[in-house]
Formats: sequence, structure tokens, C-alpha cells
Amino acid sequence: MKIFVTGIGVCSALGLDVESNIHALSNEKTGIRKGTQPFSERFLVGEIPYSNQELCAKFQLDPSLSRTAILGFIAAKEAFRTHSPNTSIRTGIISGTSVGGMDTSEVAYRAFVRGTEENLNQYREHPSGKAAEQIAAHLGIQHYVNTISTACSSAANAIMLGARMIQAGQLDRVLVGGTDALSEFTISGFRSLMIFDEAWCRPFDDSRKGLNLGEGAGFLVLESEASMKLSGSNKLARLSGWCNASDAYHQTASSPDAIGATLSMKGALAIAGINPEEIDYINAHGTATPNNDLSESTGILNVFGTKIPPFSSTKAYTGHTLAASGGIEAVYAVVALRDGYVYPNLNFSNPLSETGLIPQLTFEKGKIMRHILSNSFGFGGNNSTIILSAE
Amino acid sequence: MVYIRHIDSISFQNSFQCSNLWDILHPLDSESTLQNPEYKLHIQPTSLRRLSTILRMGIATAKSCTTDFVFDGISYGTSLGCLTDTEKFLQVVNTVTGDVFSPTAFIQSTHNTIAGQISLELKNHAYNMTHTQNTLSFEVALLDGMLLIQEGKKHVLVGAADEAIPFMERLRPDIITTHLPLTSGATSMALVPESNQASVQIMACQTFHNVDNEQEVLADFLIAQGISATDINLVLVANELETAFVSVNYTTFTGYYQTSSAFAVHLGVDFFAQNAEATYVLIFNNLDRTQLGLTLLKRV
Repeated sequence: MKIFVTGIGVCSALGLDVESNIHALSNEKTGIRKGTQPFSERFLVGEIPYSNQELCAKFQLDPSLSRTAILGFIAAKEAFRTHSPNTSIRTGIISGTSVGGMDTSEVAYRAFVRGTEENLNQYREHPSGKAAEQIAAHLGIQHYVNTISTACSSAANAIMLGARMIQAGQLDRVLVGGTDALSEFTISGFRSLMIFDEAWCRPFDDSRKGLNLGEGAGFLVLESEASMKLSGSNKLARLSGWCNASDAYHQTASSPDAIGATLSMKGALAIAGINPEEIDYINAHGTATPNNDLSESTGILNVFGTKIPPFSSTKAYTGHTLAASGGIEAVYAVVALRDGYVYPNLNFSNPLSETGLIPQLTFEKGKIMRHILSNSFGFGGNNSTIILSAE
Repeated sequence: MVYIRHIDSISFQNSFQCSNLWDILHPLDSESTLQNPEYKLHIQPTSLRRLSTILRMGIATAKSCTTDFVFDGISYGTSLGCLTDTEKFLQVVNTVTGDVFSPTAFIQSTHNTIAGQISLELKNHAYNMTHTQNTLSFEVALLDGMLLIQEGKKHVLVGAADEAIPFMERLRPDIITTHLPLTSGATSMALVPESNQASVQIMACQTFHNVDNEQEVLADFLIAQGISATDINLVLVANELETAFVSVNYTTFTGYYQTSSAFAVHLGVDFFAQNAEATYVLIFNNLDRTQLGLTLLKRV
């Protein structure tokens, strides 16, 4: 059974909708700048430059929501805007998140530690499953609600599960993607891991030192053909391949021989039923950590051999948006397929000494695109690949 | 068809590698504590040292379900994830001055640490998923595991774990409304597509949201499964359900943790072993009464 993408929505440091994100990407404008929150102001981050209050006023949202939920609402509403509840279409939502409402609960916990007045209600927003339930209730999605939490591959895994459920006949239509807000918890976490670059992140560059964190959300609507007839929606792309595999190497680092990454890319190609040379662009995970980019490059070489398609990481535009990244980048891939775009990799000077791979360096448009492969690799060796196709 | 080949739990009951839960079951009281097995018999001492309780529970129960096969899929559920390490890292963030601090708690705070550590311990490269949907976290993990079997996988590990931390007591009664003791537990099970090595079939699992009438959901579910209320020998409920069925409240034995319905599946499996005439057991997870998880078990 074919699975189609019939809606896309995104918010990131590049903008609050698909159009503004693509505009920034095609003009090679990064959204990464000095942060404005007490915990981000010392660093370069892909922060969305509006407060929760401003976003809630702009999008008519409940201001008690966590920022993770707010960002999720913005992207989910855009993706679902041409859709409506329909009792004949079994509709679900699968969202991905890494820390859920931590952005809210950490504020209460800080007050607790410091002995100042703690707003216990803020803990209500903490559970990672909360945002999906709130978005589902708002959009009238009843049939199935789930949240995936596999760190940085969460949204890719949500997309994959949605596709599998449609294929198995369990759902007709599903809103899939992910959302994560910047929080003190994650900034401190990645700093403690010593993979947090205080300068601009440099994906696939030999001098790369680490990532810049970002925030945002990306959602897609997946549908079966039968559902599209009922909903009257138009096809934007086809989701043709997916695979998740476990590296089983180290709790945070990827294996040097890229076992998990190789398995996930090969698995997705097998499901799509295509050969590596049919891939026209790879949207890499490319976090700019020394370990990820080397392991991912090795994986790309394992799978594509000497015929490496154009590849780039968009992390130097958005920052690493963790659980949201697979959703945001899937949206970028849908537009790239439609408009023949290849996004350039920013901040690159020299290829990795180990692999010599050079990413796409200029913005290209009008390219004939058949298939785009998108990687998302998470903590704990959770490797995911999806393939989006034009036909 | 999906069958349970093996199931094991660590809980406030002495449940780990116990031959039948119903023999050892007792209602919890204020003195009850988590019944940890001797973890060093199941986990390498070098890794054991760093692992929090929820990780130990997950790994030990998962390993207990492994014999001569390799899992070709792992699907785990947790509602609040690794709370001990989450709180530990929040403490570090708020108290340690300077710029260098240990990443261990952060690394082990993410929800997928449980399934990730299981894959590391088992050196398993298969599909590895972590689901988190509040009180339905086990059911959504089980549904994914059942789907993997439907897709042709031969041995799928499904499990769920949650852990309580003392901090949570501060959230009573407004945020945490239950009167039950706040507890921890983990249950893992090996799902297989063939009945020859299994005694229990999972007939169906379904989740429901925005529920305002539990009875209606139950009636519709039974109709969809083509069985009548009188066919069911036991209903395991999280909260009292007005029903004509023989029902047992499993939270009396588990206390309150969001994935306790996985333990109820274990109770269901062991119920068949002790009741030769029983054919159907229903797990009715109404821990949160607005969202339900229904799991129907059948004797093979």
C-alpha cells in the first residue's frame, strides 16, 4: 500500500511556517544566534525569537502549555490546516519528543531547589505524552494517540510508526512528527557531554567540535489513497521507505564502523525497493559532533560506495532540534522533492580527513528529484532512516 | 496471531522468576517496598554500578525473557521514564557551579535509556522503540510489538517500566490524585507468532481517548472481538468498575505506577496456569478514567 504525505507544518529558528523556513534555507540564512533565555544567553542557539506569551497570543493557544507543546501546536496546526475530523477516516497522532514539558517543570524544580515559591501546576505539563494528547484534543483526533521518545530520532520513528500503522490497515490518516523546546536541562546535558560547540557548528567539517542546540517542531500528515479520496487532500510526496536499527555500541556514541546507521539506510532502501543510486539527495543527521559526522559518513560510504549523492546537514540553520529534527527535516525533504531543491551545508571548509566527503555547498533548484533519504540518529544508538519519493 | 512465550516482572511483589504470581500475591501496605532480585546474577557488575533501579528492572526482566533466540524487535513503554536520573541531573544543573559537570545522570535520564541499555546488554541491532503515553504507555508499546509480529518478526520483546521517586509525594493531592502508594515496576515479555511454545494468546489490545462512559467502551470492544461478557473469566481492573464480571483490582498489588497494566498481563498469564477452565482474561486499564487500555488474553 502506498503512503502519501498530504500536509506539512514546521516551526524553527528559521520561521514559524513552511514558507519562511524554506525562504531562509534557500537564501542560506541561519537561524542560529545568541540566545535570549537566562540559560541560553551565553550560547549560540537555534531559538525561536518569541516568548511563550507572544506565541500563544499569535496562535490562540493556552498560555499554561509547555513550550514543547506550543511549538508542537504551531507545526501540527499548519500540517493539518487543510484537514478536518471525519468519522469515516480513522485518524491518529504520533508525536516525538525528548524531554516533553521539561521547559516548564524545570522552572518549578529550580524554585524548589532554591526554596523560592514553586508553582506545582507547572509539573502537570512535564509528562512527555502530554503534548500529543493536547494537540489531538484540539484537532479532534480521536482514534489513536502516541508519543515516541528515542531522543534525536523520535520524530523519524513517529513517521515510521505512522506509515506502518496505515500499511497494516490500523489507521487511514495520521499526523506524525516531533517537537522539542530548548531547556536548561538539555543545554546543560549536551554541555556536560562536551559535544556542545560555543562557536558556530560545522557539520561534516574536519574542524567540527560539536552541535548548536535548537528548538522547533515538524509535522506531516500521512494518508492512504482511500483516505485521500475521502479527505480530498492533495499528494505532496510519497513516504516510500523507513527503517530503525540499533547500533548497540555505546549509550551516547555511535560505532566507528556505523553498524546501526548502515542497517537503517539499507533497511529503508529495501522497503522503498530502490537502489542507492536512485537517491538524489541525502538530508544527513549531521549534528557536527566529531563522533556523529564521522560515523554517519562511514555509514554513507558503506551504503553508497563510490557514488555518493549530494548530501548536506541543515543543522547549521536550525540548530539540533533533537526529537523534532526528523520531522522538521522530513518537511524540508518534501519541499525539496517538489521544487527540486538541494540545501547547502553551511560553515564547511575542509572535508573529514578520514573520509574526504564534501557536502553540497551551494543552493540548487530545478533539479529532478525522485527520492530523498533522511537520517536521524539518537542517543543510545537509535538509528532511523526515512525515504521520501516524488512518485 | 500473537502469543506470549515468556513474561517476567519486578515489582512490589516477589514476582521475579516466580512460578505463579497468584501464590505470592499480597495487598500492599505502607511497609511494602520494591522486591529487587540479586541484580548481579543478571547484569555485568561493571555496568550494574552505573544503572538506576528502572534500568536494572528493565534489563533483568528483558534478559529473563531471552533464551536461545535473538529478538528481532524491541518495543518498550514508560510514562515518566528514568526519574531518578532526571531529578539527579536537575539537582546538578541547579546546584553545581562552574562549567564542568558529570554527564552520567543526563545520559541515563532519557526515556529510551531503558530499551537502549537492553539492546546494549543483549548486543541487539534490531528495531528499538520507546513509547511514552502517560497511563497507556504499556499498551502503545504492546501495539507496536504486535504490529512487528504481524509484519513477520519472530521474537519481539515488549515491556514497560516506571519508577517512583520520593519527590512525587510533594505533588499529592492536587497533581497526583491517587490514594495508592506510589511505586515502581517493570514487566518484560517475549512475543512470538506461533502457539507451539506459548500458553497465552493476545487476542487484542486497544487504546481509547476522551472516554466518558467506560461501560460503553467495554461493550463495544467485546462486540468487536466477537465474544460475550459471559465468556470472560476474569477482568483485571486498575480502578473499580461496576460490572457483572469477576474482577480483581490489580493496583492493590502493584501500587500506582503508570505502566502497571503490564504487570496485570503477567497476572493474566499466570491465572490461566492455575485455572484450567478459564478461557479469557481481560485487562481493563482505567488508571486514568478518561483514557482506557483494553487487552484481551486467551488461553491457547
